Amino acid sequence: MKQAVYMASVFAVFLNLAGSALIFGQDVDFGRDIRPILSDRCFKCHGFDENAREGDLALHNFAAATRDGAIIPGDAEGSELIYRILTDDKTEMMPPPKSNKARLTPEEVEMFKKWINQGAKYEQHWSFRSPRETEVGVDFTTEINPIDAFIKAKLEEKGLEFSTRAGPYDLLRRLHLDLIGLPPTMEETSDFLKAFEADSNLAVFDKIEDLMSRPAYGERWAREWLDLARYSDTNGYEKDRERPIWPYRDWVINALNEDKPYDQFSIEQLAGDMLPGSTLDQKIATGFHRNTMLNEEGGIDPLEFRYHAMVDRVATTGTVWMGLTTGCAQCHTHKFDPITHTDYFSMMALLNNADEPVIDVPSADLIQKRTEIKNQIGALEQKLISEIDPIRYFNWYRDSLEKTAAWIVPAVISMKSSSPHLTLQSDGSVFASGDFTKRDVYDLTLDISGIAEPVTALRIEPIPDKRLPGNGSGVAYYEGVPGDFFLSEVETNADGRDLKFKSGSVDYGKVKTGFGTAVASNVFDGDATSGWATGEQETKRHELVLNFGEPVKGEKLEVSLLFQRHFAAALGRFRISVTTDKGTVLARSGVSDMIRSQGETLMRQYVRSAPEFKEGQEALAELEKQIPEFPQTLVMKEWERATRPTYRHHRGEYLQPKEQVRPAIPAVFGQLPEGEPANRLTFAKWLVSESNPLVARVTVNRAWRSFFGRGIVNTAGDFGFQSELPSHPELLDFLAVKFMDDGWSLKSLHRLFVSSRTYQQYSAVSPALLEADPENIYLARGPRFRMSGEMIRDSMLLTSGLLSQKIGGPSVRPPQPETVTTVAYGSPKWEADSGAARYRRSLYTLHKRTAPFAAYLTFDGPTGESCLPRRNRSNTPLQALTLMNDPMFIEAAQSIVKDVEGNDVEIVAHLFQKILTRPPMNSEMELLVNFYREQKRRLEQRQKSTDDQSIKDPSLMAWTLVARAIYNLDEAVVKG
Amino acid sequence: MEKSLHQTTRRQFFDTCGIGLGKIALGSLLAGGTSYAGIPGILPKSTLFGAKAKRVIYLFMAGAPSQLELFDNKPKLKELAGTPIPPSIIAGQRYAFIQPDAAVLAPQFPFSKHGESGIELSDQVPHLAKVADHIAVVKSVHTDQFNHAPAQLFLNTGGALPGRPAMGSWLSYGIGSESSDLPAFVVLKTGKSLGGGAALWDSGFLPGNHAGVPFRESGDPILHTSNPMGFDDEAQRASLDVIQELNKRRFRQVGDPSIKTRIEAYEMAWRMQSAAPELTDLKKESKETLELYGVKDGEPGFGRNCLLARRMIERGVRFVQVYHSGWDHHGDVEKGIKTQAGETDQGSAALIQDLKDRGLLEDTLVIWGGEFGRTPMIEASETLRRTKGRDHHPQAFSMWFAGGGIKPGITIGETDELGFNIVEDPVHIHDVQATVLHLLGINHETLTYRYQGRDFRLTDVHGRVVTKLLA
Repeated sequence: MKQAVYMASVFAVFLNLAGSALIFGQDVDFGRDIRPILSDRCFKCHGFDENAREGDLALHNFAAATRDGAIIPGDAEGSELIYRILTDDKTEMMPPPKSNKARLTPEEVEMFKKWINQGAKYEQHWSFRSPRETEVGVDFTTEINPIDAFIKAKLEEKGLEFSTRAGPYDLLRRLHLDLIGLPPTMEETSDFLKAFEADSNLAVFDKIEDLMSRPAYGERWAREWLDLARYSDTNGYEKDRERPIWPYRDWVINALNEDKPYDQFSIEQLAGDMLPGSTLDQKIATGFHRNTMLNEEGGIDPLEFRYHAMVDRVATTGTVWMGLTTGCAQCHTHKFDPITHTDYFSMMALLNNADEPVIDVPSADLIQKRTEIKNQIGALEQKLISEIDPIRYFNWYRDSLEKTAAWIVPAVISMKSSSPHLTLQSDGSVFASGDFTKRDVYDLTLDISGIAEPVTALRIEPIPDKRLPGNGSGVAYYEGVPGDFFLSEVETNADGRDLKFKSGSVDYGKVKTGFGTAVASNVFDGDATSGWATGEQETKRHELVLNFGEPVKGEKLEVSLLFQRHFAAALGRFRISVTTDKGTVLARSGVSDMIRSQGETLMRQYVRSAPEFKEGQEALAELEKQIPEFPQTLVMKEWERATRPTYRHHRGEYLQPKEQVRPAIPAVFGQLPEGEPANRLTFAKWLVSESNPLVARVTVNRAWRSFFGRGIVNTAGDFGFQSELPSHPELLDFLAVKFMDDGWSLKSLHRLFVSSRTYQQYSAVSPALLEADPENIYLARGPRFRMSGEMIRDSMLLTSGLLSQKIGGPSVRPPQPETVTTVAYGSPKWEADSGAARYRRSLYTLHKRTAPFAAYLTFDGPTGESCLPRRNRSNTPLQALTLMNDPMFIEAAQSIVKDVEGNDVEIVAHLFQKILTRPPMNSEMELLVNFYREQKRRLEQRQKSTDDQSIKDPSLMAWTLVARAIYNLDEAVVKG
Repeated sequence: MEKSLHQTTRRQFFDTCGIGLGKIALGSLLAGGTSYAGIPGILPKSTLFGAKAKRVIYLFMAGAPSQLELFDNKPKLKELAGTPIPPSIIAGQRYAFIQPDAAVLAPQFPFSKHGESGIELSDQVPHLAKVADHIAVVKSVHTDQFNHAPAQLFLNTGGALPGRPAMGSWLSYGIGSESSDLPAFVVLKTGKSLGGGAALWDSGFLPGNHAGVPFRESGDPILHTSNPMGFDDEAQRASLDVIQELNKRRFRQVGDPSIKTRIEAYEMAWRMQSAAPELTDLKKESKETLELYGVKDGEPGFGRNCLLARRMIERGVRFVQVYHSGWDHHGDVEKGIKTQAGETDQGSAALIQDLKDRGLLEDTLVIWGGEFGRTPMIEASETLRRTKGRDHHPQAFSMWFAGGGIKPGITIGETDELGFNIVEDPVHIHDVQATVLHLLGINHETLTYRYQGRDFRLTDVHGRVVTKLLA
C-alpha cells in the first residue's frame, strides 16, 4: 500500500514534466523523460546486473537495447518494447504483474514511442556529465545574486513570486542559527537593529562577515560534517568502549574555520598520511575513516569486522564524495546505477592498504611539561649516582654478572607467518604488523652455525614499541588490554630434529583478560589454551627463558611461536636469543642485558634497584607519575612495502572471497590519471578533481539543504539513476561550477547562499502558497524548519547564560538520567561532569554509540553507526517531554530567571526577547504576564496552605515556569 | 515516502482547521485521538486484511539459551559424551571460543513429553510444560551470525550491522499504533547487559517516531514523564495551556503546519505523563494474577515485565520487545540454564495462560528465543575459567511461538542426532521475520522504505513464510 502511495507521488512529479514535453511538442529528453521510467520499472531485470537479467535482454544502453529488436530506432510500432508495455497478455506484459511495478500510463507510452521514433538516443545520466557542460538558459546577471535569477525564473514559470524580505529580528536570528548555530544575544540584537535602520544591506553584509569569522562557525558546521564522518567517541558493537578520536573532531572545526579548500579538506581526511612530508595535522585528519566501528566482542573473527569496516568506508566515500549509493554493489552489480560488483571491490582495494594505529598528539605545553619533569628526573638520578658507594656497587656488579647468562642474538635466516608481516629491526628484534587473527603462527629460522658451544637455552623477549596498541609489546587491540599478547606454544627444531624443553622460567607473568597461570611451562605443555602473557605490564620488557632438554648443536634453529586466544593476541615486537651457558638458565628481571653494558646506564640501573636508594627511588617514582600523557588519536597509515590483496566477495559476504581485484575507480568514470599509483591518495585527489562530475554538485547540494531545508536534489545521499531530478538543475550546476572556480571555498558558498534574496525572504506561508508549494521546493518563501537537538540545547545554554565558550578538547558529559546508558553493555552509569564541562556546546558531548545522549537522539541525532547524509526532522511527544521536563533544560529556565529585574511586563519582555530574539506582541505579553501572576498566586497559596518545602520563592518559581514555557514554543526550536 | 506523509498532514490539516485554528478549541482538534506513530501524520490504522495477529510480544532471550538443555532432546550426545565430534560434521566451521575438535557434552537435563500434543521439553521449564498445547516449537532455526551483537541485530533488524530499523519499528511504520497515549513500540529489559545496545530497537532510516521506547526499571518508566522537581500537575497543565495558546497564535501568523503537529505532540506528551505511571502501577492487578506471574510487590523482574507487556498490549501498544539476558553459558551450562530458566519460565508461561484467559492470545503473537544456539561440543578453557559450557552455535537452535495465527501444539524441524545440523524444515532468521509480518497481515516483500536509492525491507532480499507454523 505504501508502495502504491510512493509510486503515485513519483508518478505525479513525472507527469508534470512529461506533460510539458508533450504539450509543447519538444523533443523527448532521455534523461528527464525516459531514463527515470527505465530505471524504476525495467532495470531491476533488464539493467546493469548480468546475474539478475531476465530473457537475456538489457535496456541500459543503446547497443544492448537495439540488438534483438526490443527497440528499433525510428520504428516505435515495430519495437518489441512498445508491444510489451501495451499488451494485456499477462504472460507477456511489462512490467510483469509479479514485479509489483506500475504499468506505464498512456502519456508515458506516448513518450516512449516518440523517443524511439526520434532515434532512441541514450544520453549519459545528467549527474555523470561535468556540470561545466550544462548550458545555462537563465540570464543570471539580471540579479545581484545569481541564485535569485535562477529561483525567480522557476517561480515565474510556476506563477509564484518572492515573499518580502524578513524583518531584522527574523533575519538576524536566521543568520545566527545558520552560520554559528547560536541565537544572537540581546546586545547583538540591538546593535544590529541600529545598523539595519541606518543601512539594511550594509548591516546584513557586515553581520554575515562577522559571523563567518567567529570560531563558533567552525563548531556549527563541524557537527554537520561529523554526521557524515559517523563520528563517535566509542567503538560501537557490544563492548562499545571509549576511543581517542576527539583530536580529529577538533581538526574539522579548525579546518572549517580557516576555510580550508574543500578539495584539500577532503584529501587530507582520506589520505593525509600519504602526502609528502605529512604533518601531524594531516595525519590526524585521516581519523575520518577511523570512525568506523570496532567490534571488541571476544570470540569474533577480527578480519570479518575489518571487512565490515572496509565496506563502510567504501559506502561512506561513495555517499560523501560521489553522492552514490555504492552499497548496492557490495552484493551484486548495481541494478540501477552503472557500478558493477567488481567496481565496488576495486574501490575498496584503493582504500584497503593501511594499518590503523593510534598516535600521540603532542602539544607544545605538554611537551614542555614533560621535558621539565624528565629534566628533574635526570637531575635526581645524577644526584643519586654521585652518592654511589663504589664498593657496594662493585659487589652488586660482580654478583649480577655471575648470575647472568651471556645471550647471543642469532642472525635471522627467514621469517614467515600465518598472515602478519614480520620485519627485522636493527637490534635483532622482530616487528609484526598487518592483519592479526585469533590464531597466528610465526616461524623463524635462526642461524646458529657460528656458535661454537652447544646452545643450552632460548630466550624470548617481548619488547614494547610505540607503534603497537597501548605502546605495549603485543598486538591486542580489542577485547584484551591494548598491547597485550598471549604466547600459547613454542616449538623448536634444529636442522629438522624436533627439540624438547626441560624447564623454563619467566621474570614476570600474568593473564589479565581471563584467568589462569602464566608460567613458562604453559608454552610447552601441548595445550594451546594455556600460555604466557605479561598482563598489567604490557608496556614493560620481559623475558621467557626455556632450557633445552639436550644442548643443541646445528646449523639452523627453527622456532615456531603459536598465539591462540579468543581475540587477536600475537606479539608485536620481540627478540629471540640463545645462550651456551651451562646449567639451568633463569629469566632475570631487567638486569641481564644491562649488566653487560657500561657506564651510566648501568649506574642508573643500580640506583634504581639498590636498597640504600629507597628514598630516591620513591621520589623518582613520584616524578614519573607526574609525567603527563599526550592525548592520542586514531589514524590511518599506508603500508609501505606490501599490498593487501582485495577480493570480490560473492554476494558481498566476507566468507565468500572470489577473484582478486585491482585497485581502480568505477569504469563508468574512466581511469585514475596515468602514471599515478592506484592508491588511496590518487583516489582522494581524483574524488575532488574535475574528473569526478559528482563531487561539486553533491557538496553544494548538501550545503543548500542545510540552509534551505531541502536539497536541489532531494534524495540526499543519491545522485544515481534513481535520484529525483533536481528542482533547479541549472542552478545546481551553476553553483557546482562556481564552487570549483571559487577555489572550493565553503565559506564563499555559504556567503553566496545567505546573501541571496531567496534566503532572506520572510518564512511565513499563506494557505494559497502552502497549497501551491507545500514543501517549499520553489522557494517563494524563506526556509523554516526545526533545529537539531544540539542546536536547541546550545541555544538554551547561550540564552540562559550557562554556555561555556571553550573550544575543543576531550569530550564531556552533560547531565542526563543514569538509566540512558545502563541499557548498554556492562550497564555503565552516566556520570555527569561538574562545572563548565556540563555547559559546553553540544558537539563536545561524549557520543556513545550503543546509548547515545538521549536528548539528541530524541531529536533525530545520529547514532554514529554509519554515514548520515540527512537527518530526519521528526516532531514527537518524546521531544515535548524532553523540552518540558529534562532537568538539563529546567536548569536553563532556572538560570535565565536568576537575576531578572523590573516589573512583570519588563521581565516578560526581557525573557521573551532573550530566548526568541524579537520582542513579544501585546497579546503574547498579556498571556504570559497573566500566566505568571496566576502561577505566582497559586504557588503562594500552596506555600501557605501545605507548607510545601519545595516552594522557596513563589515569584522565582513562577518566572521559571514562564521561561520554560517560552523555551518550549515552536519558535524557540525552529529556524524560521 | 516523506513527501506523501507531508501531503497527508496537509490535507488533514485543511479538512479540520481550514476555517481558522483560533476558533476551534484544542480538544476538538484532537478528538478522535492522534496515535503515537501518527505524528507526524501516519494515520492510526487498524490491522490489515488477512491479519491473524494484531500485536506482538517478543520474549528475547539474549545470550542464546542452549536448545540442548531445553527443547532439542539428543540422547546420542549422552552416548558420545567425552569423545571428539566427528570431523566430517564440523569441517570448515568457525567458532567463537572453542576449537572445532572439542569433545561432545551430554545433555544436562532429562526430557519428557507434555500435554495432548506431546511436545518434548526438558524438566527445566515445568511452567511452560503446562501450556505446551498452546505453543509451537521450532527446532530448526538457523542464523548467519555467531557473535552476540551481530546476531541480536540480525534477528531484531534483519541486518547484522547497526543501522536498520527494528522489527517493531517496521510494524509501527507499516500499521501504526492503536494507542493514543503510549508508543507503538516498547522495550523492556531484565538481566545482564545487551550486546546490541540501543541499535536493537532503533528506527534506523525510518523516522525517529518509530523507534522503540525503553521502559526503564528505575526512575521514569519513559524518560522525563515525571514533572520536574517542585512542579505540580497544575503547573504542568497551565504551562502546557499557555504554550499551546502561544503556538496557535504563532501558527495563525506564519501558517506552518508543523506547528499544528507540535501542538498535537505536546498534548500527547501530556497524556503519556499520566499513562506511563498508570501502566506500570500493578495495584489493580489481582492477587491471583500477580501470583501467576510470580511478581513480588514492587520488585523488577522478568515476570513483572511479562505482566507489563500484557498491560501494554491491552492499551494498544503494537510491539513489546521483552529482553532477558544472561543465557551466554560458555561455562557450566547446567547451572546457567537452571538459573535463567528459573527466572523466566514462570513469567513466559504465565503470559500465555493469562492472554488465553483474557481472550487475547488469539490475536496476540508471542515469540520466545535467543539469537543463536549452543554447540553440542563442550567448551572448557583454563584462561577463561570455563568448564562444561557450550559455545555459540548458529547452525541450529530452537524457538517457540504462540497465539495469533500460530498452529498450537506442534513441533517442527529436526536436527541430526548430534543436534549439530538441521535435517528437516530449516527456518532462517529472515523466514522468522517474514512469518511474523505475514501473521500481522503484511507481505514482507512489499513493506519497503526507500532509502539512499534502494527499497529496504526487514527481510533484505530473502525470507519465506513458514507455512507449517500457520494455524
